[in-house]
Amino acid sequence: MIMITGGAFAGKLEFARAHFGLNEDEIVDGTDCAPEDVFTAKCIVHYERLIRRLMETDGQGLQYGAGGADEEMEAVGTDGASKCRSLRPLAFTDRLLCENPDAIVIMDEIGSGIIPLEKSERLWREQTGRAGCRIAERSDTVVRICCGLLEIIKGIPR
Amino acid sequence: MMTLVTGGAKCGKSHYAERLLENFAGKKYYIATMEPYGEEAMAAIVRHRKLRAGKGFETVERYMDIDGLVAPEEFRLPRGCGILLECTANLCANEMFKDGRICDPTEKILRGFGRLKDISAELVIVTNEVGSDGISYEKGTAEYIRVLGTVNRLTAQMADRVVECVYGIPVVRK
Repeated sequence: MIMITGGAFAGKLEFARAHFGLNEDEIVDGTDCAPEDVFTAKCIVHYERLIRRLMETDGQGLQYGAGGADEEMEAVGTDGASKCRSLRPLAFTDRLLCENPDAIVIMDEIGSGIIPLEKSERLWREQTGRAGCRIAERSDTVVRICCGLLEIIKGIPR
Repeated sequence: MMTLVTGGAKCGKSHYAERLLENFAGKKYYIATMEPYGEEAMAAIVRHRKLRAGKGFETVERYMDIDGLVAPEEFRLPRGCGILLECTANLCANEMFKDGRICDPTEKILRGFGRLKDISAELVIVTNEVGSDGISYEKGTAEYIRVLGTVNRLTAQMADRVVECVYGIPVVRK
C-alpha cells in the first residue's frame, strides 16, 4: 500500500496521477463513491471524507467517543459484527487493508487545529487519525505533499 | 536528552513518545496534565492508561505549576529519572484560563520544562499542533493559539530532538 497525505489542495492527487500514470477510471473519490468500491480501486482519494460518510450512515456515530476507538474495535469483534457496525470506520479500514493491500490511498491531514466544539467533528478527527495511523503503518511508502513538493516520510520511492 | 514530540490530533504522538522511553532502565514518570473533566476526557485518559499499562511508568497528575514538581518543598522527582510529560496543549490551557482571566504562562511553562530537563536523564514532552485550521477564533482562543505556538517554538529550541508525527510516522524536525 502507498499512502499520500498532506493538507487540502497541496497537490496530492496531481502527484499521484503524474507519478503512477493513473487513468480517471482507476481513481475513486471518498466524497461520493459507493463504499465498497474502495476494496477494488487502484487509487482512493479523500479517504477522510469516506470516513465521515461511514460515520453518518451507520446512525451510531455519536456513540463512538465514550468508549474510545479501541473499545469500539473490541465491540466489533465480540458482537458478531452486525452489518451496521461493519461500516464503522476502523473496521472498514481494516477490511480495506486486507482486501486491497496494493491500493494508493490519498488522505488529507485534518488534525492540526483547535479541538472542534461540535462533538461529531471531534469524533471524525479521532476516527480519521486512527484510521490514518493504521494505513500508514501498513503502507510500504508514505509520501507527504506540501506546495506540490513531496517528502517521503516512510519507505523508499517507487 | 530532551525530545519534543508534536503533531495534530490522534496522530500517534503518545504511542511514539512512550516508545522513546521503552528501553530506559531507570525510574520513569508520566506527568499527566489533562484534567479528568467530562466523558471524553475520561475516555482519553482511560485509553492512554491502557496504552501505558505494564510499561513501568509512575503517573503524576499535575495540571499546572510544573516548576513546582522539582521544588524542594513539594513532591520531588529523583535526579536521573525518565520523564514523559503529556501534553503541553492541556498544560497551557490550564495555566492560561485558570481563574477566569487570561494570562500568558509562556515563561512559567518554559521554566518548568527547564527544570525537568535539568533533573532528568531522558525527557520527552508531547505537544499539539493547533494553528493549522485556518479558522478565525474569538480573542481567548486566538490568544491560546498564539501562546501555544510560542511555547512550542521555545520548547523546540530547548530540546535536543524535535519529532513531528504524521499519521503515526515520525518525521524528524531537529
